Amino acid sequence: MTNMAEDLKAESRLLGTGLPPNSAEEDRRTERRRSPREQKKRTTDLVIYAALVVLVAALMVPFIWMVSSSLKENNQVLTVPIQWIPTEFVWSNYTDIWTRIPMMGYLQNSLYLAVIITCLQVLTGSLAAYGFSKVRFPGRDVLFLAYIGTIAVPWQAYMVPQYIMMQNLGLTNSFNALILLQAFGAFGVFLMRQYYMTIPDELCEAARIDGLSEYGIWARVILPLSKPALASLALLTFVNTWNDYMGPFIYLTSNRLWTVQLGLRSFVGQFDAEYAMIMTGSVISVIPILAIFLIGQRYFIQGIATSGMKG
Amino acid sequence: MKRTTLAAIALAVTAGLGLSGCAGAAGPAEPQGQEGKTRLTVSVWNYEGTPEFKALFDSYEAANPDIDIEPVDILADDYPQKVTTMLAGGDTTDVLTMKNVIDYARYANNGQLQEINGVVDTVGKDNLAGLDAFDIGGKYYAAPYRQDFWLLYYNKDLLKAAGVENPADLTWDEYTALAKKLTTEAGGKKVYGTYHHIWRSVVQAIAAAQDDADQNSGDYGFFEDQYNTALDLQKSGATLDFGTAKSQKTSYRTMFETGQAAMMPMGTWYIAGILQAKKDGKSTVDWGLAPMPQKNDDGKVTTFGSPTAFAVNKNAAHSDAAKKFIEWAAGEEGAKAISKIGVVPALQNDAITAEYFKLAGMPTDELSKKAFTPDKVALEMPVSDKSAATDKVLNQEHDLIMVGERSVSDGVAEMGKRVKSEVLGQ
Amino acid sequence: MSTETIPSTVAPAVHSRGNRKQARRNTLIGWTFILPNFLGFLAFTLIPVLAAFALSFMEWTSFTAPKWVGLANFQRMFASDSFWIALRNTVVYAIGHVPLTMALALLLAMLLNRKLKGIGFFRVAIFFPYITSLVAVAVVWNMLFSPDNGPINQFLTTIGIANPPGWTSSSDWALPAVIITSVWRDMGYYMVLYLAGLQAIPAELYEAAEVDGASAWQRFWNVTIPSLRPTTFFVVVMLTVSSFKVFDLIVVMTNGGPGRSTTVLSQLIYQEGIGEGKFGYSSAISLVLFLIVLTVTVLQFKIQQRRER
Repeated sequence: MTNMAEDLKAESRLLGTGLPPNSAEEDRRTERRRSPREQKKRTTDLVIYAALVVLVAALMVPFIWMVSSSLKENNQVLTVPIQWIPTEFVWSNYTDIWTRIPMMGYLQNSLYLAVIITCLQVLTGSLAAYGFSKVRFPGRDVLFLAYIGTIAVPWQAYMVPQYIMMQNLGLTNSFNALILLQAFGAFGVFLMRQYYMTIPDELCEAARIDGLSEYGIWARVILPLSKPALASLALLTFVNTWNDYMGPFIYLTSNRLWTVQLGLRSFVGQFDAEYAMIMTGSVISVIPILAIFLIGQRYFIQGIATSGMKG
Repeated sequence: MKRTTLAAIALAVTAGLGLSGCAGAAGPAEPQGQEGKTRLTVSVWNYEGTPEFKALFDSYEAANPDIDIEPVDILADDYPQKVTTMLAGGDTTDVLTMKNVIDYARYANNGQLQEINGVVDTVGKDNLAGLDAFDIGGKYYAAPYRQDFWLLYYNKDLLKAAGVENPADLTWDEYTALAKKLTTEAGGKKVYGTYHHIWRSVVQAIAAAQDDADQNSGDYGFFEDQYNTALDLQKSGATLDFGTAKSQKTSYRTMFETGQAAMMPMGTWYIAGILQAKKDGKSTVDWGLAPMPQKNDDGKVTTFGSPTAFAVNKNAAHSDAAKKFIEWAAGEEGAKAISKIGVVPALQNDAITAEYFKLAGMPTDELSKKAFTPDKVALEMPVSDKSAATDKVLNQEHDLIMVGERSVSDGVAEMGKRVKSEVLGQ
Repeated sequence: MSTETIPSTVAPAVHSRGNRKQARRNTLIGWTFILPNFLGFLAFTLIPVLAAFALSFMEWTSFTAPKWVGLANFQRMFASDSFWIALRNTVVYAIGHVPLTMALALLLAMLLNRKLKGIGFFRVAIFFPYITSLVAVAVVWNMLFSPDNGPINQFLTTIGIANPPGWTSSSDWALPAVIITSVWRDMGYYMVLYLAGLQAIPAELYEAAEVDGASAWQRFWNVTIPSLRPTTFFVVVMLTVSSFKVFDLIVVMTNGGPGRSTTVLSQLIYQEGIGEGKFGYSSAISLVLFLIVLTVTVLQFKIQQRRER
């Protein structure tokens, strides 16, 4: 067993990454020779680039409309037919929004909530996932199904009982309510458990023989190995918290606690809405997500085995 | 080891942040209640975007220095849902604003509101437009301070160009003919004769009002004429078709303010909106008001509208102060305060109407003034515990008729069938 | 993982009395891992959910005390057209949305799981639909779907389809239109999950397969797919759950219309519950929704477990 894990590690060190061995580095090294195989690879890359460019163009269309609308007067946004380029660029939307609503404060609130909830979700989720995947004890799978089961219940169904409970605990109209509600969800547990299932048990076994406790294995073997999963959990939790509307709407009443999503909805009136401002705010609120994504996606390159060696 | 340390630090930071509670609250600071003042809380929607609330609160605070009003700002979109949730949790907000009469019926019938007959008597039952809607078995649980009703907005330039100076005393047939006449297409820019927004009230509530019929009845034959009119306009291209308007979330403001529609039936709330747009230079439309087109040409004007009211929460922390506030807001003083910003108060008399037309930018022609004093304003939707469910069914079937999936007679029959079985339990 | 690895249990299953102590120890250890999350989960999710389920046997307006009504809510539900229509729409939506999103997400993840210049940009770009404002999504897609002059129907006409569908203005085609939009929107989200899953496949499995002379297709089928099984289970369950709970996109795009052609269960739950104050009835619907999803999930869980062995 031990040997196997060692072999596993050693082998992957040679390979360098967890990717199939057709990496770009290899391409570069052998570029001059251009054997038929490399030639083929280059063509594949080109085809992939072309496909990606077309795909991305198709995916970005609504976003482009969003940006274009953020540069229009409000009564020019929802026109028939759609107007893709503003007749007149209203850049002032981007300066006005900071004074029309306390946008900076809303951004800070959103960031605060998203960061805390993400940290807690990642931490408790990966802990519980270890219990659900690498430790065997009676009742484990039933409990796990209960976790998944609650994901299936729409929040609209239990939102009022939950609110009454929170009100009795004196937690409504505070960030704590939202943090408590969203940080311990089943999503992270489930995601991390599934990822841990793909990590060979031999690695844990080897560590156990080396004398590590279960907590040690979690912290020093499993956690470092699961960077890609931690990154995707963090990313998705962050995005979902950031974009959440109903949760903050129900639990945060004071304006000073509002998040960006609530702030943007405040441009919707009883009979009409200021879509130019909403789009401006939406464009601004996408920026933090992009930053997080660009940081997080780098972990999708490191393979399991390379990171495993550092642990 | 490094990793565990890192994890420990992360944990500590998270816990620290979490425990410090509201440390992250970075929005504008909340005004603190001052010493010796009663802090009255009022639930409102979209406080920044609905200036009537600020106008009322500021004037009231000025008149009553011992009161400090704190708005509980809730987003307009899901206002009733949030209020319901808050009340379920035993919320103690003093004054609850009733966005529509359907919600009012629900709160009042479930004992969530205090009876305020005394307030209504003081203001004067005869003066308050739309008060009847709030009568539940002789008891009033809310008093209206605002009353919106529907009239016809028109673009004076476009009508003049077509040789129509004065769209007075229109019947629906005349209105249809006029709309078709006003529809033009020049240089790729289409101007529609009129614009009907996608709300079902544009067809159904006006039909009910002018036929004196009940939208909770389950018999909807009276909708037919109005649907035929609406579909005729749509087929002839005199208004934007329903499917496009709905899927493109067409803004009625855009249609009217950019001159894409020559006429538009719409509620009085839009007066404040268009005044603002003109003031900000975002629209150059020269506009006027006319009464809604009528079914009969007997010269009487019947339209529909819906009141907005204040009520006292059963669990209010300051019941007496709340009642005093409502008495003031529904009365003469409150009416004056909101007229000044272009909002139509529930309390109506000549002095207030005259005041209203003094607003900068208001059209001053006789027809506009006439449009402002309809003979009868029916309620948009009856006050009943059935209204919410009926409303849903009527909306769904309205869709199907307007996109042309059901014929008018089939659609109307289906409405009746569904309302009878799903709502009335027959 | 692969056929070569001998299945091993980390903490061996209990076989004899002597192992009881071990079992107790395992239980203790297992619970200490689970506890931090479980406490929060129990208090703030599980208990309210159970409370909601209890409400499905009661009548409750949220203003007064709940009243026990037994199965009345369920009787009303099964007799209601709206419920069956919404259930049908939800199931159709799930059947369309789950496999399409899964296939495309995996395809994209495979495509983007390589070293290419600017790959970060492409990964972000594919995630964009998920973070684009829903209103923008609805407006633009509805424009694309516009029956008379939308680009989609213009294209369909040029390739010889005489009567292109009415999409969101037609009862028959509104649901497919919503499914297409939702697949477009969600595939980037699930791509992120697949991308993480792909990182966990040891490279030597591919090496070995290549040595054996396996083609790219065979490698995909014999290495990638089996190794991704836990991720796929997660994606399938999450997709199923989110399909059965779909709400926002439909509200913004068609609001359930035309008529009831795109009304789904969670809309019904929302309208009946907080919209009209019939919380017992709305809880009953959510209990049914829960049972359906749970059945599907348990089924998938069993299949997955059998494959793992």
